[in-house]
Amino acid sequence: MASASSLSTSSPSTPSPAGQSFRQRPWVRMAFPLVVAVVLAVLPLVLPEFANETVARIGVFAVAVLGLNVVMGYTGQVSLGQIFFLGVGAYVTAYGVQNDWNIVLVFVLACLIPAVAGLIVALAAARLGGLAIAMVTVALPIVGVPLAKRLSEFTGGSQGLSARFAETPEWTGLYDDQWQLYLVLVIGGVVFLLTRYLVRGKYGRAFAIVKGNENVASSMGISPYRYKVLAFTIASLIGGVSGFLYMLVIQYTSPETMSFGHSIELLAAMVIGGAGSIVGSILGGAWYVLVPQLTNAVDASLTALLQGAVLLIVLFVLPGGLASLPRVLARGRRRSGADRGPGAPPTTPSSTAGSGTAAEGSERERQGLA
Amino acid sequence: MGTFIQLVVDGLSTGSVYAAIALAIVLVHQATGLINFAQGGMAVLAAYFAWWLTNQGLPLIVAILLSIVFSFALGAVVERWLMRRFERGDPDTAVVATIGLLTLITGIAGWLWTYNNQQFPSLFPLDTVSFLGVSVSIRSIGTTAVIVVAMILLQALFVGTKLGLALRAVAINPQSAAFSGLPVGRLLMVGWGLAAVLGAVAGALVAPQLTLTPGMLDNALVYALAAVILGGLTSPVGVVVAAWIIGVLENLAAVYVPFIGYDLKVAVPFILLFVVLIVRPQGLFGRKTVVRV
Repeated sequence: MASASSLSTSSPSTPSPAGQSFRQRPWVRMAFPLVVAVVLAVLPLVLPEFANETVARIGVFAVAVLGLNVVMGYTGQVSLGQIFFLGVGAYVTAYGVQNDWNIVLVFVLACLIPAVAGLIVALAAARLGGLAIAMVTVALPIVGVPLAKRLSEFTGGSQGLSARFAETPEWTGLYDDQWQLYLVLVIGGVVFLLTRYLVRGKYGRAFAIVKGNENVASSMGISPYRYKVLAFTIASLIGGVSGFLYMLVIQYTSPETMSFGHSIELLAAMVIGGAGSIVGSILGGAWYVLVPQLTNAVDASLTALLQGAVLLIVLFVLPGGLASLPRVLARGRRRSGADRGPGAPPTTPSSTAGSGTAAEGSERERQGLA
Repeated sequence: MGTFIQLVVDGLSTGSVYAAIALAIVLVHQATGLINFAQGGMAVLAAYFAWWLTNQGLPLIVAILLSIVFSFALGAVVERWLMRRFERGDPDTAVVATIGLLTLITGIAGWLWTYNNQQFPSLFPLDTVSFLGVSVSIRSIGTTAVIVVAMILLQALFVGTKLGLALRAVAINPQSAAFSGLPVGRLLMVGWGLAAVLGAVAGALVAPQLTLTPGMLDNALVYALAAVILGGLTSPVGVVVAAWIIGVLENLAAVYVPFIGYDLKVAVPFILLFVVLIVRPQGLFGRKTVVRV
């Protein structure tokens, strides 16, 4: 989300106005989200159909990556099961639509059922500290695929389910792809905004301290267990929303939707986009959708190889993911221009879009307690 | 009754494969404190290597032995050039790195040898032997026996040799080990190499049954991780026992529980895991670790 750049900069460490970068000026911070909103509102009208569909898919997976980010990027619990919740959300949506349930009810169920499933998984998995969540959630896609095939009464077995809903209303005069994209933008935008408030607020600070040091968290009265369960449940809920959007855009789901390979790709997309970053989630969604398209165009059998190689390279050279690229570049530029005096723009950590890394999280935690 | 015993023996054999991978994971965890999600993937690569060698005309047993040497080198190289950077850092990042490694290895195997199933020749004849009126497949017995022998050899190496002593020292306290003059880095490479060897043995034994694909051991990874949690990360014996329990239980459930059947038997370790995590979170044989703040 564009508004991610408007993080509070009123801390005493803010440099003098003269040194403020362009993006930190009040009117820029006010106008920037507005501009982005306008651009997003106009874009579906002018883009060709294929581009609209691609942007809508990016939106779907950006929401899925955002959910993964809540549990992994912000709370530091590696989850390999996020795609499972997307799959559950998609199946619930497809089943509901096929049985002509009210679409609002379908949406609520597509959020709630994955959330409850996530809650149950987390209640058990979070009991073991350390990497247990990763070790348990790796089973979710691997169990999920045969389970979906088995429950063919609800899931259509290996053939999967297709469902079309949210037909474009007559009065809008829009094409299907435009209307779908608007729906994705609105629902996804709301999810992103709510998540942004969540991770910047009281709960986000608790998540950050659980990620930073569980012992410190419990000594401060923050139960790591509860917050891990909470984060995982929220991630599952967001995964359910992305499943709903998935059905809206792709209109078809099968057991393959939640395969182990997709689960890993989603995790790779999150890390490459930027862990613990709202902008990183969008970049991750774009990565998830665009890169297979690109590599398939070159050589389909190379996709996994490239994904793995890029993931490792990113971990080596850019641990903050693509979202941290501007910050890293700015730091590099400042270092090279350090001997030219104070002309270089000072960059506080909060001036960058990507935020919520462990160090920064605890920084904000300290300010909050002061 | 005959079916039951046959199922138990088969379960012990698949359980042994899970046990080997689980033990490899524990080995790596004790040495470097990270969970290697690519352990199965490395074993698959070794199996592909052996398969490729047999296609070049080498006898199967030579191919497998060469692939074991290859795995040792692979494990050591991966430790030195990929994982070392993540070992002392954030364990979550390290896990993501091993997942990246898994993707990379799967990708390499798929790119070199396609994603199609390949037939891997079996080390053991596919006959059955009658034993007290029950027919048991030789392959199951052979698989179990080979893996048990591999584990005993490994245990002997750890307990009875100077190298094993050094490896244990590094696992317990790398800093003190370094102060007493041990080459910690090289020992970590050896540890990873040994873990990869154990995986390679399991991979070569299970490949004829599963047929060789790049994702052949993805399911086994789930079983192995379940065994690691059930047995407790601190207890190699517990992990092996848990893997056998899982292998036998899933085989029995596949036949005797109609809803589960063969396609859903991968859910068995998952359900087992849930029950144990709620009742006994430190694992069946693990110790509760107490951390001083």
